[in-house]
Amino acid sequence: MKGRRIEARPGQVVDRAEPLSFQFDGRSYTGYAGDTIASALTAAGVGILSRSFKYHRPRGLLCGAGHCPNCLVQIGDEPSVRSCTRPLEQGMDIRSQNAWPSLDNDLMQLTESVSRFLPVGFYYKIFHRPRFLWPAFEHLLRNAAGLGVIDPQTPEGSYDKQYLHADVVVVGGGPAGLSAAVAAADHGSRVLLIDENADVGGHLRFDRPDETVTERIAQCRKALDQAGATILTRTSVVGWYQDHWLSAVRGNRLYKIRAGAVVVASGAFEAPPIFAGNDRPGVLLASAAQRLLHLHGVIPGQRGVIVTASDAGWAVAVDLIEAGVDIVAIADERPEPGPPEQHETLTTAGVVIHQGYTISAARGARGVDEVDLVPVDGTAAKQTIRCDFVALSTSWIPSAELATMAGARSHYDETLAEMTLEDLPEGIFLAGRVAGPCTAEQEWIQGSAAGTAAAAGGPSHDSTTGTTPIPRSSQIVVSPGSAGDKRFVCFCEDVTDTDIETAVAEGYDRIELLKRYSTVGMGPCQGRMCGLNSIRLCAQNTGQSVQETGRTTGRPPVTPVSLGALAGQKMEPVQLSAIHDWHVGHEARLMVAGPWMRPEHYGTPEDEVRAVREAAGLIDVSPLGKLKLTGPGVATLLERLYVNPWKDLRRGRVRYGIMCNDEGIILDDGVCARISDHEWYVSTTSTGASGAVEWMEWWRQSGWGDGVHITDMTETHAAFNLAGPLSRQILQPLTSRDLSHGKFPYMRARRAKVAGVPCLLLRIGFTGELGYEIHCPAGYARYLWETLIEAGIPHGLLPFGVEAQRVLRLEKGHFIVGQDTDALTDPLAADAPWAVRLDKDEDFLGRRALTRISEEGPRQRLVGFRTRRRADALVEGLQVVRPADRGAPEIIGWISSCRYSPTLQETIGLCWLPTELAEQQDTPFHIHVEGQLELAHVHHGPFYDPQGERLRS
Amino acid sequence: MLRLECPSCGPRNAAEFRYGGEYNPRPAPSSSATDNEWTRYLYLRQNSMGVQTEWWYHRSGCGMWFLVERDRRTNQVTRSWQWTVDMDDDARQETT
Ligand code: FES
Ligand SMILES: [Zn+2]
Repeated sequence: MKGRRIEARPGQVVDRAEPLSFQFDGRSYTGYAGDTIASALTAAGVGILSRSFKYHRPRGLLCGAGHCPNCLVQIGDEPSVRSCTRPLEQGMDIRSQNAWPSLDNDLMQLTESVSRFLPVGFYYKIFHRPRFLWPAFEHLLRNAAGLGVIDPQTPEGSYDKQYLHADVVVVGGGPAGLSAAVAAADHGSRVLLIDENADVGGHLRFDRPDETVTERIAQCRKALDQAGATILTRTSVVGWYQDHWLSAVRGNRLYKIRAGAVVVASGAFEAPPIFAGNDRPGVLLASAAQRLLHLHGVIPGQRGVIVTASDAGWAVAVDLIEAGVDIVAIADERPEPGPPEQHETLTTAGVVIHQGYTISAARGARGVDEVDLVPVDGTAAKQTIRCDFVALSTSWIPSAELATMAGARSHYDETLAEMTLEDLPEGIFLAGRVAGPCTAEQEWIQGSAAGTAAAAGGPSHDSTTGTTPIPRSSQIVVSPGSAGDKRFVCFCEDVTDTDIETAVAEGYDRIELLKRYSTVGMGPCQGRMCGLNSIRLCAQNTGQSVQETGRTTGRPPVTPVSLGALAGQKMEPVQLSAIHDWHVGHEARLMVAGPWMRPEHYGTPEDEVRAVREAAGLIDVSPLGKLKLTGPGVATLLERLYVNPWKDLRRGRVRYGIMCNDEGIILDDGVCARISDHEWYVSTTSTGASGAVEWMEWWRQSGWGDGVHITDMTETHAAFNLAGPLSRQILQPLTSRDLSHGKFPYMRARRAKVAGVPCLLLRIGFTGELGYEIHCPAGYARYLWETLIEAGIPHGLLPFGVEAQRVLRLEKGHFIVGQDTDALTDPLAADAPWAVRLDKDEDFLGRRALTRISEEGPRQRLVGFRTRRRADALVEGLQVVRPADRGAPEIIGWISSCRYSPTLQETIGLCWLPTELAEQQDTPFHIHVEGQLELAHVHHGPFYDPQGERLRS
Repeated sequence: MLRLECPSCGPRNAAEFRYGGEYNPRPAPSSSATDNEWTRYLYLRQNSMGVQTEWWYHRSGCGMWFLVERDRRTNQVTRSWQWTVDMDDDARQETT
């Protein structure tokens, strides 16, 4: 076989001085730097690159532009790599996908011989009965339809994100895009030019490149550099979102781009026609042949046939002849003679010219051995011609995805046989081939106009008017007299024209339905290759026009994006308390609590509980929401936001409060301290802090804010809770403030200096012991914490974590908002009716609902329970059931908290029960634990120190 | 991504904001509302296919709650402004 690599020429991007060796399916090959994987394989004479999705037919290079599925390969642990755009690298280990045992000899190809049992819509039709066999079928189907292998052992890659801003983003770096970018930059705009290819230049790079063109591209580059514009190559814009927010991907980086205006200069791509065997390796698009030839110096074969519907095919024929390829025939579906100049070249080269002809079949043992050319009007017999490749130049599809995502509407132009765009939204400008057929010179001009308009921020206008369209696309839907093999519409999903016909006959005659049922257009290329063909076929089968048939909605991503690029770096922001490092240094086991990392315990939670009950403990409660409310209107605002009364709270006092919404549902709880007449200190739950602040601000800013200012000090202040019978003894030596019960009783607030640090002390007791909540500026926190620990150690003080606190509060029967309450819990049901003051002067949030609930009585109630069962078996969330004589027990409630109490040496908890069960102390009930019924008894009030004497000691 | 205009900070990405639902003033005082009015306030929303007045909160910014007039079909924002007391009065007038 003669070599496929031609001599070096200007414009080629391969560097013959740098050979690269690589493996494909275990065999060694050599290519050059600048090759794509597919160009190197084509040069080496490898024709079959993959096996198709459903029938496992052999497939080879088709589009050469990164659209179609034919050349997807696996590289190491990376599946579905487009080998026609991925640059070749030294030592690459490339494998074919979807073939077993090998590409050349794929046993799954048998599926084709049973293909009449795989009708269109087979997902919905067969394999589902008998039902018990479905898992086996599913396994089989999934393996058969695999597109590469994902290796779960793959080490994590590094992906990142970047934000970009530009006045004008130009998508596409061909002549139109380049001149648009230059024009916009000339007008002073910040310009970002994005192109998915290795370099800018667009089709000029491979469309008969010459020196003047290369020079012109270089000049644009220079102008853009000087203007400070950014050029991103190998970057795909994958989505348009509201207000010109674009997403783009380059390798492992995702760009999020805010654009002032977008010039869509994304060009057009070729799509294949429908004929028998149109998927055989060796059948490729003419633009793919041009890329191979002009960029990589590779010819697709030795004996070629060209099929076209415009002058474009003639130009490609000349290119190939000049490269030494034997072009045996050209079929042009137009009856009139082709362009005179090329006509002459072709005649001289001995090419048989068939005007008014197209291709109806391609046949071959492994690739293409011969093709049938038929007259379009059926007036003559078919011509069979021997060749080893066919280059197709029949249909051009504008890359209109971004424009349609932005809201432009598509219109089918019958003369052009192409979709065109209408009703461009504001800020979207079109330039070049995407807007319709035009010459390269017109592309330069249109680009300039679009770039100028985009920079001026004017209304979107069609810069393409006034150009003379050259009809370039084929009018034929399915080649006449095409038979003998399958005719593929959708290469990705192996859907044929007969499948579409059948689906329409079965009633799936709307394009969106047809797509979902037949899966046409749902493959890796997202309908790029089959979109227009499927619409035209649908139209043909329904008797509607293409315009009436419409098109499916295009959504991001335009091209496939790896999940890694979307996920980006692993970044989960956490909030850390000011003394986090101390916790870490003292073996704290950390847990996630809302946005915070908090110590769960420092080793043994039981010891921590015991220390608090018998001596003292210190917990970091910095995550508590901490707000300062100032102004003469605070008391009124609090009365409206909380179910409790506040106006009667005297200076220096603290009260527990519950905040509800107008449905009477508990949103948050905490304490409010009145520091002075017009200054209050309010705490919220730790995990609900930001929500509570937003809620309070909303009411404050929408009419209830007269004379109130809210300062959120959650992050600027730290808070500790010093709790236990010895806490006064520990704290008193550190402050001159008299802490005696007489001077600083329970539920009071005092400012004090502790170890010299200005603090606010709240004498409250979530744990049920004498205790002080100490709030101080975060900058002093570490010092104060260490001072307190040091002072406490001789008294037996231990630092304690969230777990011990949960046990301690449970022993007191206190609920935790969000743990024991949910989105249906009101304070009456949560056993806190004492907090609700329905007869307040102020109209408060939840009043109407709570008034009603108090009249009717809650249906369920939160109560304590005790049980002999060990706590570790009683997972929170277990159901409370009523045993039935027959059948399954009835679910009547659930457990919201449960712990073993080291103090009481039994298992205690909180649960939700029907009111009639909850009302009686000691009522027995059953908890459903792994099929067993465990006995528990209702307990009212605190389990520990029911009179609260320790709090007031 | 949608862009919103915070009355105090200017145009910002929607990710900086929290959506607060339809503008829906609370009957004042709550006891004065009929059951129908109260139900409408608490549970019924316009869900209009068209322009809606809605609340947004500048969470990652200045902390302002403000109102936005947005077309829910096109996401076009026509107005952003800070709440004023007469708005509520007008709205209540309209619904009664
Ligand atoms: S050819 Fe790719 S989706 Fe149909
Ligand atoms: Zn703001």
